[in-house]
Amino acid sequence: MSLRRLVLLLVVAMLVVTTIGPVAAQGKSVTIAFDQEPDSLNPMYTTMTFAGYVYALFLAGAWNYDADLTPNPVLVSEIPSLENGGISEDGTTITIHLKEGLLWSDGEPLTSEDFVFTYEMFVSEKNSPLTRDPYDKIASVEAPDPLTVVVTFPEPYAPWLGTFRYVLPKHILQPYFETDGTLDNAEWNRAPVVGSGPFVFDSWEVGSFIRGVRNENYVGGAPVLDTIVVRFIPDAESYLAALKNGDADVGTFVAYSDIPELEATGHLNVGVYVSGYNEAWYMNVNPETAHPAMLDVNVRKALAMAFNREQITNDLLLGYTYPAVTYWEGTPYSNPDLAAYPYDPAAAAALLDEAGWVDSDGDGIRDKDGTALSLRFVTNTRQIRMDVQVVVQQAFAELGIEVVLENYPSDIFFNSYADGGPIATGQYDFAEWSSSPNGFPDPDTIRFTCDEIPTADDPMGDNWQGYCNPALDALFAEQAKTTDYDARVAIFHQISQVIYDDVIWVGVWYDADTWILNSRIQNAAINGASPFWNIAQWDVTE
Amino acid sequence: MGRYIIRRLLQAVPLLFIISLVLFVLMQASGDPLATLGGRQPPRAEDRERLARQWGLDKPILVQYLYWLIGNDWTLVDVNGDGTGDQPGTRLGVLRGDFGNSLVTRQPAMQVIAERIPNTLILMLTAEALIIIFSLFIGVYSALHPYSFFDNVLTGFSFITFSMPIFWIALMLMYIFAIRFKAWGLPYLPTVGMYDPVVGRTFAQVASHLVLPAMSIALIDIARYSRYIRSNMLEVINSDYIRTARAKGLRERSILFVHAFKNAALPLVTIVGMDLPLLLAGAVVTERIFAWPGMGRLFLDHLNRADFPVMMGLLMLISVAVVVFQLLTDLVYTWLDPRIRYA
Amino acid sequence: MATTEAPSLPVSLANDEIPARSLWQMMLRRFIKHRMALIGFFILVGILLYVTIGSLIFTEAYANYNDTSLRLQPPSAEHPFGTDTVGRDILARTVYGGQISLIIGILAVTVAVTLGTAIGALAGYYGGLVDSILMRLTEAMLSIPSLLLLLVMAKFFSGKIPDVNLLGRTFSGSVIVIILIIGLTSWTYLARIVRSTFLSIREQEFILAARALGIPDRRIILSHILPNALAPIIVAATLGVASAILSEAYISFLGMGVRPPTATWGSMLDGAYQYLEEAPWLWFYPGLLIILTVMSINFVGDGLRDALDPRGDKKV
Repeated sequence: MSLRRLVLLLVVAMLVVTTIGPVAAQGKSVTIAFDQEPDSLNPMYTTMTFAGYVYALFLAGAWNYDADLTPNPVLVSEIPSLENGGISEDGTTITIHLKEGLLWSDGEPLTSEDFVFTYEMFVSEKNSPLTRDPYDKIASVEAPDPLTVVVTFPEPYAPWLGTFRYVLPKHILQPYFETDGTLDNAEWNRAPVVGSGPFVFDSWEVGSFIRGVRNENYVGGAPVLDTIVVRFIPDAESYLAALKNGDADVGTFVAYSDIPELEATGHLNVGVYVSGYNEAWYMNVNPETAHPAMLDVNVRKALAMAFNREQITNDLLLGYTYPAVTYWEGTPYSNPDLAAYPYDPAAAAALLDEAGWVDSDGDGIRDKDGTALSLRFVTNTRQIRMDVQVVVQQAFAELGIEVVLENYPSDIFFNSYADGGPIATGQYDFAEWSSSPNGFPDPDTIRFTCDEIPTADDPMGDNWQGYCNPALDALFAEQAKTTDYDARVAIFHQISQVIYDDVIWVGVWYDADTWILNSRIQNAAINGASPFWNIAQWDVTE
Repeated sequence: MGRYIIRRLLQAVPLLFIISLVLFVLMQASGDPLATLGGRQPPRAEDRERLARQWGLDKPILVQYLYWLIGNDWTLVDVNGDGTGDQPGTRLGVLRGDFGNSLVTRQPAMQVIAERIPNTLILMLTAEALIIIFSLFIGVYSALHPYSFFDNVLTGFSFITFSMPIFWIALMLMYIFAIRFKAWGLPYLPTVGMYDPVVGRTFAQVASHLVLPAMSIALIDIARYSRYIRSNMLEVINSDYIRTARAKGLRERSILFVHAFKNAALPLVTIVGMDLPLLLAGAVVTERIFAWPGMGRLFLDHLNRADFPVMMGLLMLISVAVVVFQLLTDLVYTWLDPRIRYA
Repeated sequence: MATTEAPSLPVSLANDEIPARSLWQMMLRRFIKHRMALIGFFILVGILLYVTIGSLIFTEAYANYNDTSLRLQPPSAEHPFGTDTVGRDILARTVYGGQISLIIGILAVTVAVTLGTAIGALAGYYGGLVDSILMRLTEAMLSIPSLLLLLVMAKFFSGKIPDVNLLGRTFSGSVIVIILIIGLTSWTYLARIVRSTFLSIREQEFILAARALGIPDRRIILSHILPNALAPIIVAATLGVASAILSEAYISFLGMGVRPPTATWGSMLDGAYQYLEEAPWLWFYPGLLIILTVMSINFVGDGLRDALDPRGDKKV
């Protein structure tokens, strides 16, 4: 029958398909594995962490961060400061001096015009970038000469290092923008064939990998490696298998509980790096949506003390981490005088008794004025979080606190107030997830201020806990204007104290990133903000 | 015949309409693309409001469906948020061949899908070929030697594989042939991907990466198909005309392969015809485990980002393929079995 | 598609070996003759005993009791199947997880049978426009790969259904979601079978007579025509339980299954396969139970098909 023909057809099809495509690359190569694939390689059109790691290979910016998270000049000759005059006395003007002789990968000069263009693209009404932050905080960007960029803010703006982390090539994108009327659909967004990073974008085999080749024009000199490959492996077990088998050299975001298994291979080194992320409980204190008990700070304190967080970090996370104390754990902005609330069920029970939550009807659940102490603990469907849920449910039941568990897929869990997202609309009493300051390593965040509380009239805010404390608002406003590093650190110590005292945010564990490197890689110096900042120096032994 | 084809195609129009409406409503209500924009620097409140306007997500669901169907170039989009439209829409709508742009990659949805089709076909057609070859062998052999030791073993084996979740089979195969074989110093197969990006897309690379995923898919369906072939074959062998053929003294080989097999293979056309368009959907689980860049993975990735233009495009493409293949199956059937006629 | 069914081959109903007996005796005989079906039946009984007697030995509280210091203990005398990632006893969890898995399988099929029978009966009995609309709907369902539809629906319903209390136990809303979506996506096959039975019977004389006598449609459908479709419905429903249990495992594998603290065999596998090498007992036992259950149900279904379908008897 047609069976033979079908087989023949198949063989021919395979031959055709497999003979087109790139031919084997020679030389030194490193393969990085991620479990998610970037949506875009233009910083305007993605907020994905992994996309950020990938486009950093192809695009350079004014600065990145070195192994100690200290700003490291890349395209600039020095980091602007008050001392070198880069930051004006009033803190509103930043003057950037570029290195001489900067080139794009195609040999065209990289100048201050590219900086101005980058700014213009982010704020143009004709483009739909995912976020305009922080470019919409800028009053103007000027290029008095090809090596100088002057950025002016309407008021002092402390997180200015968040600007120009990446610079777009004007000579490539300007023509697109003029013909198309928008950058939204430019091919370059997913194929940045001209860039300024250590590697030049070569190909993107959708669903499989992105490959880059050495950029001979890279600002610090061409990299040692000839090619870099970023592979996408969505399944966790396959991901580990690829690392173990040597099908990938670099991996990240591996669960702490998988570390021993990886270290046992002998050829994989596991490191843990501060990433700004902390796994935490977000307490709902919105009087309209929260359980009445949640409004009492002593009840919240009792919850923190009833929860044996070290049991989680030691038993479930194998001691690779510890309970986070503040939102800025592991950074200088975290108040060093604070200590995690201790696990003390007796003290927690006493606090609850004092607050009037006692088991008056003998059903094993505490109550007050006819309301049972039954709290909704909501999180997404990540395995470790679901494990924490059952541990907490059992521990709290022993103290007479009933815990109702709910889980949602991430895109529903993080849904906005307008779309009825369970957290945004306050359908929880305490919720667990992990987050980081928006511009890490900059400490600023909009999570705790009054004006970010979403309402029916203004449904998009980010303060989903309904927490409003004018004193804290004032501190946040002040730090945003404080360009002096030490003064800003001091303000953040006050901020972390307030959040700690009000028990609004309870760290579960310090959620540092894991990075796994094959031992054949030399000279790598990962950090949690720009992990590949020195990839030009990476080498491999065969 | 021509009128029959036209009638069937016309009947498909309301069918596709119903499918698209139901799917659209289901998808819109099951996730918010803006909520999936995570990462360290997620869009702020004002960014999300702007994006909702720019992407038309602020409109009522039926209006969004209308835009999806016929486009929005006849109306104005309110980009600056002052409550009145200020820029003309750019979408043409499905009826004019525009499935919208992916909310994730910003490329046309059909382009995103088209990139994955060849990969899925390589995997699925290989698997389907394995299935047909092995199940024909097993099914025919079992039917010729029913209840023999070998038949019982094969039947038992096919029942076991048929009862296994595919992820179980896939992970076992990967564990044994990729990880353990390497640990034992034996020749081993690669774990994930379609080819090693450093080596490039060579025939040997794709073939070696293809073995495990194709086997995982095939193992389960071989069971299903071979059972089906066995029972059809048994039925035919015991039918009167084969007895007559035997009585006439025809050679056993010619009886089996000219008369019995031909008739037993006929119903196979139906299930292959029904399965082929669904192959387009790829294998969600297998593709995920082996990181195979096909349609199944596309669906999962974009489902998690609530990228409904791509999901709608993908499901509608499959629905159209099903309709077309049903018609083709019917036509092939008529051709193979002259007893059936369509008015 | 219904038009493509080839005229069935002539079948001799008489079988010399079988003396006149009641229909049920005949079926039982055929069923027992089917060795695999019998084996399947005994395994199935064993599994049912396992999940029922097991729940008399272990309490549900014990099955949910976690002790993180006992994380990932290999099988021992105290925990014969070992412990999971938060130190729960896997043996006890397979008992309670099995109950939920079986309940999901049976209830999902109940939903599917109800829907499929109703739709097939209405379409087949009334014909015309009703038939056209219902069959378009069936085709619409058939033209979307069921796993993709399951995933979309799992997201659609997630979190929308509250927990329910039944017989003193709390069932997570997510269990109901799974039952609903599996039921809602697996009725099409049944609808087609029922419809074709109705199509072939509704013009027969006894039905025409019943109509002429003014017997209401409902009674004709339920007590005169439907019994004729019972055999294929039973077979399809039996096999449906197996595929519903598998579907649940797939949904769980893709992270959209039941929520804690409820367990099913499928959700016990979710995440457990990440310990493929490190803690094989995590996935081995629930996996084995799924395979055994699905396999034995398939055997029984196969046997039932042979028993209820007279053609099954004429094997060589």
